Amino acid sequence: MISFLVVNPFIDSLLKILSIVGLMTVSAMGLIYLERKIAARFHMRLGPTRTGPAGLLQSVADALKLVGKEDIRPASADAWSFELAPYFVFIPAFMMFVTIPFTLMLNVEMLTLGLLYIIAISSVSIVGWVMAGWGSDNRYALIGALRAAAQGISYELPLVLSVLCIAMIAQSLNLNEIIAQQTIVPNILLQPFAFFLFFTSALAEMNRAPFDIPVGESEVVGGPFVEYSGIRWSMFFLAEYTALLIMSILIVALFLGGWSWPFGEKLGTSWQILLTIMKTSLVIFLIFWVRVSVPRMRIDQLMNFCWKVLIPLALIQIFLNGLILVFHLPTFLLAVSSIMLMGVLVLIINKSMQNLNKNHIVKNNLESA
Amino acid sequence: MKGILISMKVTLSAFFRKPVTRPYPDVHKPLPETDRAFPILLWDEAHTEPYCTGCHACERACPVECMTVLMKDNPNHVNNDGTSKRKKIIDKFWIDYARCMRCNICVEACNFEAIAMNNTWSGHETSVYDRKDLIMDLPQLLAQHRSGNIDEWVVS
Repeated sequence: MISFLVVNPFIDSLLKILSIVGLMTVSAMGLIYLERKIAARFHMRLGPTRTGPAGLLQSVADALKLVGKEDIRPASADAWSFELAPYFVFIPAFMMFVTIPFTLMLNVEMLTLGLLYIIAISSVSIVGWVMAGWGSDNRYALIGALRAAAQGISYELPLVLSVLCIAMIAQSLNLNEIIAQQTIVPNILLQPFAFFLFFTSALAEMNRAPFDIPVGESEVVGGPFVEYSGIRWSMFFLAEYTALLIMSILIVALFLGGWSWPFGEKLGTSWQILLTIMKTSLVIFLIFWVRVSVPRMRIDQLMNFCWKVLIPLALIQIFLNGLILVFHLPTFLLAVSSIMLMGVLVLIINKSMQNLNKNHIVKNNLESA
Repeated sequence: MKGILISMKVTLSAFFRKPVTRPYPDVHKPLPETDRAFPILLWDEAHTEPYCTGCHACERACPVECMTVLMKDNPNHVNNDGTSKRKKIIDKFWIDYARCMRCNICVEACNFEAIAMNNTWSGHETSVYDRKDLIMDLPQLLAQHRSGNIDEWVVS
């Protein structure tokens, strides 16, 4: 664990807070730059090139611009909720950093129930979103906030259930223990379905494409943030990218074996950091990739997918995991059950898409007749 | 489900392709030979003087009246112990680039093939802070061809 000056707990905690803040801002700016660059390459564009070498200073320039901007509050806005909303989004993201395991020894504070803590804290930001939407006194903002609330609460369930699958296997909610158990077999091989669940609902939790309906520019012009400007808006942005980073590290920790797989605990700390960063980058790249590939879902499709497909299948997975673990059946059955559920999911999606097409064709025929 | 994988494949192939955009002021797209920017005057290297005799043909033909031409007797004429066969030569020439609409009529009207449309990027990047600076005088109009920046096809 990071302990700069253990002698004085106040200075120690102050330094920890400062390092989290520094890490947050720097990583958020880096991620914004990377997202712009990578999305640009996916669009066969160049992305930022003008500010600094290869546009590296673009995020710094943006940050300076945002800080220098006027902080406008609409006259009809609800002052308290409008002003406080950014903190309600920002602080949970900040608090999630506490128990994130970068390496075996390097994290701020290893909690025994770290996973539960992260899941609990991450859902607090929904309050901030709703406050922002309500406080702005703007229809787009309110619609966006309600969408965010509906989506956030719905997808919280598959997220928790997929985490539960992993916790059942690991018999622990301590992230370091979960990682340490993956030295030989990462959890993604045992529970590919849980990985899919977690990835999907993490995308929905972060309001990223294809689940970005709360902030969809073409529908609600930016959702709850329409009325925000300057430093407050940048706080939302910072929280968003911090959440992206944390969720990616969490995916790495839960499913890809974090610092442990495939070299075990004997690896030096710096190599462990490198391993974590590499895996996290891969996950983040995957998230960007999904963003540029998949179109935005409709809100009813989103809700149907969550409540009718993901949650029942997740419950079945937990039930099967329970059976296998309680009766001490061979471990590979976990993987078999998970792959079977994955197949069921693919079948369901294909079936629903066929129905969509069929309805579409029937409707077109009716219209043409 | 299959559709999602196909779309991800498509975007990944796009990721490894060369970007179709250019960082413009650093990298210029090669212009076609027939590109038509603003009219410039051509320089007769053999007699070290402009081709233009100041005959006013372009000035009369110009639909937006962006040209002003003044002629004089050629000091370099054969009668004055010179080398040129041009009796008259251009004295002063102004083209208001702010007014010009790049119609190419002056080039068609010219009897001496002394005026041509600039087909380089220098003809397009003419932004200035004061619109008075867009009124080009004779040395400015001749400079492009004199320094050899114009492709040959414009000349003939």
